[in-house]
Amino acid sequence: MRRLPVYILVDTSGSMRGEPIESVRVGLNDMLAMLRQDPYALETVWISVITFAREVRQLVPLTALDKLQMPRIEVAESGPTFTGQSLELLCQCYDKEVVTGSATQKGDWMPLLFLLTDGKPSDVQLYDKQVERVKSRAFGCIVACAAGPKAKVDPLRLLTMNVYSLDTLSGTSFKQFFSWVSTAIGQGGKSVGVRGGTDLPAPPAEVNIVV
Amino acid sequence: MDWLKSILREKEDEVSDSRLEAFLKSIFIPKWNEFMEKEKEEIEKRVNAKELAVPNATKGKEYEAVLLSDCEGIAILKLEGLEQTGLSVQKSDTELRIQGVPNKAGTFPLTLRYKISAGESSFRSRIFELRIDPNPRDLWKDRPVPSDTQYSKADTECVYVKSGTSELEDGTPRKNMVAASKRGRSHAHDGKPRDDHYVVQYSKESEWYIMAVADGAGSAKFSREGSRIACETVKAYCEDALMRSEELEKNIACYSEDIKDKVREKVVGDGIYDILVKAALEANRAIEVEAQKQSRGVREYATTLLLAICKRFDFGWFVATFWVGDGAICLYDANAPTAQLLGVPDEGEYAGQTRFLTSPDIFSQDSFDAASVYKRLRIKIVEDFTALFLMTDGVSDPMFGTAAHLEDPSKWDALWENLIRNEENPINLENQNETTAEQLLKWLDFWSEGNHDDRTIAILS
Repeated sequence: MRRLPVYILVDTSGSMRGEPIESVRVGLNDMLAMLRQDPYALETVWISVITFAREVRQLVPLTALDKLQMPRIEVAESGPTFTGQSLELLCQCYDKEVVTGSATQKGDWMPLLFLLTDGKPSDVQLYDKQVERVKSRAFGCIVACAAGPKAKVDPLRLLTMNVYSLDTLSGTSFKQFFSWVSTAIGQGGKSVGVRGGTDLPAPPAEVNIVV
Repeated sequence: MDWLKSILREKEDEVSDSRLEAFLKSIFIPKWNEFMEKEKEEIEKRVNAKELAVPNATKGKEYEAVLLSDCEGIAILKLEGLEQTGLSVQKSDTELRIQGVPNKAGTFPLTLRYKISAGESSFRSRIFELRIDPNPRDLWKDRPVPSDTQYSKADTECVYVKSGTSELEDGTPRKNMVAASKRGRSHAHDGKPRDDHYVVQYSKESEWYIMAVADGAGSAKFSREGSRIACETVKAYCEDALMRSEELEKNIACYSEDIKDKVREKVVGDGIYDILVKAALEANRAIEVEAQKQSRGVREYATTLLLAICKRFDFGWFVATFWVGDGAICLYDANAPTAQLLGVPDEGEYAGQTRFLTSPDIFSQDSFDAASVYKRLRIKIVEDFTALFLMTDGVSDPMFGTAAHLEDPSKWDALWENLIRNEENPINLENQNETTAEQLLKWLDFWSEGNHDDRTIAILS
């Protein structure tokens, strides 16, 4: 069965406490609800969620969309944002979970990666190293979201050209962003570019592409 | 009770029954209450365990879930909330199970109400949530392609090509061709056109069969035209070249006398290279010309190409093929049984990765790696065969899944059975006629979860 693995990395550092993380929770659930109305997604999308603050964990291992029951994302009290570690964990999960094709097994579609942060990596050295490791793995597309005024875009640009910024950490912003992510995922298995990447749909008004 | 009385008489002279009863009650009832409190706590903990969850269901799909695997100690137990769903509760001594086939989608709150001892004044409860997802089969839509789309192509197509009306001179029945192509559910859902194409042709003068299928790349905006140009160009080129192929046919006859002879093999190989590779090159050029005319990149017309030519000689059948991309070309013999894959599918580590006729590493400008292109050719001589199949990956993926299965004759047997002895719609491939093409087209509508690409198949049998 051809699966489309989707990895979502969410910043759960203290600054996300309150409205921001609640908006992320709602946005994610809305995104999942939208995807469940798409027959192609229902048959092929598998989702994994990794949260990062001081502690980095794979909150949801790669799970089929129809089996997925999203647990509540919790936020840290305060402390650093170990984005680098989250990328390290991502690589581990990727190597363990993504199936590459062989004579005897059908490979997955190239996975999609979405990373959401409202700040910058506290573990800069590790981050720089892990960015290279992530980029050396095949992804259909990598999208980074710099949410809010304190989010730093430059580190995200090291990871991908597709960096989008949300001006505010409000419910509307996140809602639009996740709705767009849902569309991007919906196209993910179907329009494999001749060179192998996924063509991204145009982002909505609230979401600005970083040039 | 008497033994207890006798023990106590060591302390007291007279122990009445009522005093004894009062004594026992004073000891055991508090202890019993303590014991039951603990039991109830434990049962409540069991019922309220965080891990207890109702797995998701899918509308129309058989569902079975054990909600509570240990009901022991619970006097009254009921589950409310399933009334509208088509699911039912099954209670046994040990477990509480939900089963059935859900008849609607949505989120349904379920309330588990229970009493640990029957005498409790009110019900304890816990709320669960049951999510019933829509069935993907219900969600697929069929949207037409906008009428102003450039390079329009019909959503479905099929054809039956007879090679002649009477039997062959020696009495053996003729082989005929049938082909069908259908827009996949994925494109239908998005209102996008079919990207696949086929050609099947029999030339009465030269007596050669020419067959080709092509699969336009998913993200290439005009790949439907790419696949059409590729098929039509190779058909025209081969038809023409095979009118003047006496030399080649002499070499083929010579080769048939000793197929182990590498020299004779090379001569035929080179002759086939001259026709098939040139045809493919012509197709590539034709696509370039169209792309240039429209000021677009060749990439936007990317397509795979599977090409086969075939002729019956005195000694048997000669087949030659050229293959770029995924899908399959197979020479199948139900009697042997053998399934000879006439080439190697181009596949990457990840789904959707393949090579295209227009990929720079196949034919780049006018200089290409002749050796690697040569390797995409195959020639075969057989006494007879059941069917020559050409198909795009929209058919080979659901039918075979992996490259290993493509090499497995038993899987081709299964496909053959699926076609000619199909329960709903058997297809008359052993004795093709006018209805065979429509039957084949109808067959292409089969359901295979996750496999919704355009489907094209051409069969010489």
